[in-house]
Amino acid sequence: MIEIKDLHVGYYKDLDILRGVSLKAEEAKITTVLGANGVGKSTLLKAIYGFLKPRAGQILLQGQNITGTPPHRLIELGVSYIPQHSSVFPHLSVENNLRLGAWTFRRDKARIRRKLEENYQRFPMLRDRRNDDAGLLSGGMQRMVEVGRTLMTDPKLILVDEPTAGLAKMLSAEVYRMLTDLRDKEGLTIILVDQEIRQALKIADYVYVLELGRNRVDGPTEEFTDLKKVLWD
Amino acid sequence: MKYFLSLCTTGVIMGVIYALMALGLTLIFSILRVINFAHGEFYMLGGYASYFILSTFTGLHPLLAVPLAGLIAALIGLAFEIAFLRPMHQGRIERPDEYAILITFGLSFFLMNLALAVFGPYPHRPPSFFQGAVRLGFVNVSADRLTASILSLALLTLLLLIINKTWIGIALQAVSQNKDAAAVVGINPLRMNTLAFGLGVGLAATAGALLAPSFLIVPDVGAVPSIRSYVIIVLGGMGSIQGSILGGLLIGLVESLGAGYFPDPSRALNYKTAFGLVIFALVLLFRPRGFFGRKEV
Repeated sequence: MIEIKDLHVGYYKDLDILRGVSLKAEEAKITTVLGANGVGKSTLLKAIYGFLKPRAGQILLQGQNITGTPPHRLIELGVSYIPQHSSVFPHLSVENNLRLGAWTFRRDKARIRRKLEENYQRFPMLRDRRNDDAGLLSGGMQRMVEVGRTLMTDPKLILVDEPTAGLAKMLSAEVYRMLTDLRDKEGLTIILVDQEIRQALKIADYVYVLELGRNRVDGPTEEFTDLKKVLWD
Repeated sequence: MKYFLSLCTTGVIMGVIYALMALGLTLIFSILRVINFAHGEFYMLGGYASYFILSTFTGLHPLLAVPLAGLIAALIGLAFEIAFLRPMHQGRIERPDEYAILITFGLSFFLMNLALAVFGPYPHRPPSFFQGAVRLGFVNVSADRLTASILSLALLTLLLLIINKTWIGIALQAVSQNKDAAAVVGINPLRMNTLAFGLGVGLAATAGALLAPSFLIVPDVGAVPSIRSYVIIVLGGMGSIQGSILGGLLIGLVESLGAGYFPDPSRALNYKTAFGLVIFALVLLFRPRGFFGRKEV
């Protein structure tokens, strides 16, 4: 599905955060990227999504080189991104938030209507509150809006950055269930960056561990049952 | 009572036009996070543009010069944004906050001196939209000001519709509320910046062209309207559209009532702007966020 080869990227010249990261994510699988704070997990997602321009290396989406492609083009190619910090538009209605997910095909009214309806069936709670400002929703429901907005574009690959940061435990379980549903019911490929190692290992199929901008270990989740191995090996 | 009502009428008529100009400023601030210190000079530019158009094409109805003046200013604004503000938003400027202040101040001086060089220091006045005055209840209003006010009101309504009902308007709101999230859904923030700046200065110029027949145009004519606009948007809440409209009306009323009831009529008009500033000081003291101010996300 997506393959990253020897990626070098950073925010400033001569200061790379990622110094040769390689990664492969299989179709309809959850691939999780773990590692301590500051090893470049979020940077990796931002680089894939075109927010950062890689200095070297390649990103291949189904064999096609997408290195440095801007976000609006990636959306058309079926890539989408759920950032770590809340990304709802707080003073727009839930429905307008969802609609904005369709920005790249805003002229296709029939498709927008269809995707909205799918979202309301997937998340009936959102239908009830579609006219409320998204900022008034609970943290968990805001995540629901973000996921729903992402699904407006029919993505094949979703990049998810710490989806449960700042959420209560019960809501976290809900969010992880949402992600597994996307994989199992809708066949989506997910790259999940997470600090909640236990939770991520529960739902992931394949694990990468980064250390200071480089790959450290990787393998199928079964090989990572021993948490200590992930953390300090 | 009659006197009071007539002052209110004049206040509302001016307030609507003030709101138009302030709306432009607040639009630019909410999208670009830049205070446009050249806003008053775009007001001035609108006045001169309409004067220039009408003295070149003498057969043209004066009203037609208004949208043209707005358009010319908007194009200048677009070009300025792309050349000087876009690099800042691309992260190519080292100290963006100071840069934004200096570059818009620079533009302000440039435009003022350009007007001085081209049109000279003497006041100009484009022809009236309509001659004479109209009787509204107990008050006579000059047809020019009434026209300006009605057109401003129509334009404000149109803008509210665009901002709340169209894709482009909702995208502008999205950028103003969460720039990163807007980029995530594929909205190009750089384009929205350019659009907002063009639209914002176009509104200032339109206000300038609408008021040009009522007040004379000189190169520094924009100074008072721009200060008034800053007051209005702080009053309404920085970045709030409803706030700038309400703030505009309030400042219009306060100026009109303040000048009308000032004990010494010979000096009342000179203090007009000061009454608005008194309200401004009170708001800063008691509600610094303004009427509709939002906490930063």
